[in-house]
Amino acid sequence: MIELQGLTKTYAGKHVVDDVSLTLETGEFGVLIGPSGCGKSTTLKMINRLIPLSGGRIILNGDDVNTLPTEQLRRRIGYAIQSTGLFPHWSVAQNIATVPQLLKWPKSRIDDRVDELMAMFHLDPSEFRHKYPHQLSGGQAQRVGVARALAADPEVLLMDEPFGAVDPITREVLQAEMKRVHQQTGKTIVFVTHDMDEALQLATRIALLNGGRLVQYDRPIEMMVTPADDFVREFIGQADLGLKLLSRRWVHQYQRPPSLAHHATLPGLDHCWQLDDAGRPVALEGARLDDGGVTPVKSEWTATPDMSLKEALSRMVWYRVMVLPVIDEAGKLIGEIGMQGVMGIQAEQRVHAS
Amino acid sequence: MKGSTLGVGRLRAASAGNGVLGVLVLLLIGLTLGMGQLEPLFRALFPDLGTPLYSRDSFLNLMLAHIGLVLVSSLISVTIGIAAGLFVTRPVGREFEPMVSSLAAIGQTFPPAAVLAIAVPLAGFGFAPTIIALSLYGLLPVIQNTIAGLGTVPQTTLEAARGNGMSRWQILRRVELPLAMRVIIAGIRVSVIINIGTATIGSTVGAKSLGTPLIAGLVGNNLAYVIQGALLVGLLAIVTDLLFERLERRYSFGG
Repeated sequence: MIELQGLTKTYAGKHVVDDVSLTLETGEFGVLIGPSGCGKSTTLKMINRLIPLSGGRIILNGDDVNTLPTEQLRRRIGYAIQSTGLFPHWSVAQNIATVPQLLKWPKSRIDDRVDELMAMFHLDPSEFRHKYPHQLSGGQAQRVGVARALAADPEVLLMDEPFGAVDPITREVLQAEMKRVHQQTGKTIVFVTHDMDEALQLATRIALLNGGRLVQYDRPIEMMVTPADDFVREFIGQADLGLKLLSRRWVHQYQRPPSLAHHATLPGLDHCWQLDDAGRPVALEGARLDDGGVTPVKSEWTATPDMSLKEALSRMVWYRVMVLPVIDEAGKLIGEIGMQGVMGIQAEQRVHAS
Repeated sequence: MKGSTLGVGRLRAASAGNGVLGVLVLLLIGLTLGMGQLEPLFRALFPDLGTPLYSRDSFLNLMLAHIGLVLVSSLISVTIGIAAGLFVTRPVGREFEPMVSSLAAIGQTFPPAAVLAIAVPLAGFGFAPTIIALSLYGLLPVIQNTIAGLGTVPQTTLEAARGNGMSRWQILRRVELPLAMRVIIAGIRVSVIINIGTATIGSTVGAKSLGTPLIAGLVGNNLAYVIQGALLVGLLAIVTDLLFERLERRYSFGG
């Protein structure tokens, strides 16, 4: 748990961070966001004291960070930054082992940990262990950077725009991976970005800063549904607010049992699924915009329970079907998600359970 | 696949370099030990000279004395130079950086002969004034390159080192010095090569070196002596330069 209490940073009489107070519970993914110069990076760097505080306190799991020896504090906190900051003269394995080595772990334990982390980030140890940073792609280097930050199993992970310098496609992959790693490790993460879509994708809590002040600290959905003021509304962006909301809602929240026989529910939505012996959907009767006939099910327009409604909607629009089959890992039909689901008709009461 | 072909190419280039270096080293040793065997050649080239081969001292002694001068003076230059470069790049010494840089630059503008002239009344004739002159002269490239080399370490790398909990000493030893080493060695290389050449004028104040036959030849109008001294100094400089080149290559990290 991290508590910021009246955190203030002053440069030459100007408040860069101005009386920021917030609490991030253990296991939460907190995102600090705001326009450039809003103090988000400064706030992050005060947590591991790369920047000294001008006022206020930071409590890390009960300890005031100002009372801890600097190096000891930093070894308790993982730190990943933009363009990785990997040590160019060290191999991937040595880079990941940075903090364990400083903590003087025995060699076998370090080796095991490095392998474990490389596996977590899908980097084959036999291929990557001995590579140097200049031999890695941007995405691989960034993975190594995050692996290094996690190496000594820190209490908190600080990430300063870690995906700011990679291309958009790699960034999406890294975001998905980060989300998985957060779920796997249950780490408390503080993440700085200026990209609202990235924040909405990753955060369980968003802190929006402007001019050094904390404007709103909330769950992503609340921030979209009940913005504190016009600045928040504007920063989130109104044009695609509906899609942003859908990006925070999941198929499993809105799916309904599959229709296995024809019965007219809503006009134009009469449909049913044909299954094979293993319970996998093979064809859809009706509910396709082009023709109402029988359409073979393609894997491109199936949905999984952990898919966002935004992605589900995108598939419906692109493949011109009104309803997607929801399948489990084995490909078995376990439900369906239709337009009503996307509109939130199925499970209105669960809107706020993000 | 690509990496391995590149590696093979680099290996080939390195082994070709090894060949040249090997030939030059053999030539250097051969000439140092066996210059006497070439007496007929020099006699044929310079028929007017009474003694076409320098024989007041063995070339081996001269070579060892020369290397000794360069080693001692370079050791002093490198120790003081790196220490000064480190000092002015630390927070405590940062304000001294302009002063140290210009002092070293001024030191280089003095002709070594002038430094010798000043050093002789202070330190007497022979080894000591030559060491003083050479050490001062070799200081600048070391200081400059130490400062420049430490300056090439990316800010993000330093921030990552601090953020991961390294102490100042650990950052210097594990990150800054290894990354700056290639540029620092380049500075040492320049300093040593300059000193190999400059050490010859130490002979004018009585320090034994490969400059001794050279100066004697110039004074006595004996071109053969000049060639014999200059040949060995030149070879020594080239061999040393090639060795440094290989040392530098060990510290390049592909960036």
